Amino acid sequence: MRKLNYSPVAVLFALLLCLAACEEKEYAIPDPVAGLTNDVIKRTLGPNIVGLPIEFAYAMALPASNGKLVSAKVEASIAGATGTFLENRSFYTNTGGQDVGITVGSPSVTTGTTTQVAYTVDTNAATLRYFYVIPPEARGQSVSFTFSATSSNGKTATYKMGPYTISKMDIRRTLAVSNNNNAYISIEDMAVYNSTTAVLNAAKIDLVYLYRATPTAFTHALVSPAAEAQYLPGVTLPAGVNRSTKVRKVFNLQDRNLAQLQFGIYIDDRDFQEINLADAPNYAIGLRAEAGTWVETADGKYRAYVFLNSVNANGSAVISILRYLM
Amino acid sequence: MIVNINTKAMARYYKMACSLLLVALLHAGCKKDTPVDEDGLLITQRAECFVGNFELLGVDFVTVRSKVPVIDTTAQTINVEVLFGTDLKNVYPQFSLASDCKLDPKIVGKVDLSDIANPKTYTVISGNRLVKKPYQLIIKYQ
Repeated sequence: MRKLNYSPVAVLFALLLCLAACEEKEYAIPDPVAGLTNDVIKRTLGPNIVGLPIEFAYAMALPASNGKLVSAKVEASIAGATGTFLENRSFYTNTGGQDVGITVGSPSVTTGTTTQVAYTVDTNAATLRYFYVIPPEARGQSVSFTFSATSSNGKTATYKMGPYTISKMDIRRTLAVSNNNNAYISIEDMAVYNSTTAVLNAAKIDLVYLYRATPTAFTHALVSPAAEAQYLPGVTLPAGVNRSTKVRKVFNLQDRNLAQLQFGIYIDDRDFQEINLADAPNYAIGLRAEAGTWVETADGKYRAYVFLNSVNANGSAVISILRYLM
Repeated sequence: MIVNINTKAMARYYKMACSLLLVALLHAGCKKDTPVDEDGLLITQRAECFVGNFELLGVDFVTVRSKVPVIDTTAQTINVEVLFGTDLKNVYPQFSLASDCKLDPKIVGKVDLSDIANPKTYTVISGNRLVKKPYQLIIKYQ
């Protein structure tokens, strides 16, 4: 019979390991925050589009013994457009899951790039929301934000956010189109014209909206003015409306900014840069609600995504457009 | 009964057994008992060779058929009627084939089927790769 030999060092090491494994660390209460502190989260997702807001939640607090909050300020590297503001209410979520605002300061004042709220109540903790409406001059650039809070003991806390790249896209939502009336769509103007106003903008008309109950595959359509006559049945185009626009049908691409529905899908600059519409036809028929079309204008100057928010069998629809300047 | 085995002899037998096992493994590893074709697909014993079903999707991945396709396995034709206005330059054909079959040419993305006067031919190749049946894809508009 063989005798098993164990090294005393190995045995000792194993014992030590066992001891270490059994040791219980006592919980220690973390050190309380001593001074004024702050934190920021960005609430909006997706691309930053001119005209739409970027929303932040700015939280600040200090121990009650150190004083109270005096003011909150946000400085943007590029001044926000009209509608930029810092909430003067601090929100909490009630048991029903709804956000309830408590007024804690005077309405915000925006001067140039700075937006400020002065506290009017004695509070030592608040979360204020900041809505920065992206101005046209920020298009294609980066924008950064410096959040700062001041307390009654003279202390200041700051928090930097960004830089955030501003998209080159333009957006226009909920344009009503109707058969034989407001049927002429201009991507350049991001507008809809009727047959009278279309004449004045003939060189800019890229698509014609029409609805035909027969053939059954036709229904709602976005057709280029230069498409074959069979795709423009009964349509007499206004003088000068003759562009050939490339159009590609898409389904299940409900961009959140256009659809304003529950879908978390975003079209970004890169989608427009990379899509190849060279072999796309110049018409799209059989469209329905929540369908869309990629569009490239005849001169190649613009690419766009036209989304159908809703359609009506009486021959009307509501569309939204995202446009990208090539 | 107690058997005494020399430790050195044990080690020698052990080495020999290991070497034998290694050689056997190498042999088994190199042996090709599952033939594959040039596409790396398994060649089987099946001789069945036909198209079971056919689908045609548009660029929006929605069907462009206006009715059920007619597949004639004797005449080796697939007759499809597509919706008015279908952009046949950009469609995705989908073939359902008999078990182990493959298609030639392969469909790797969008296909241009706009030349309806000259129907495209797709060849179905059986699982044993011995039977080849060309199917003509005949498309007409609604």
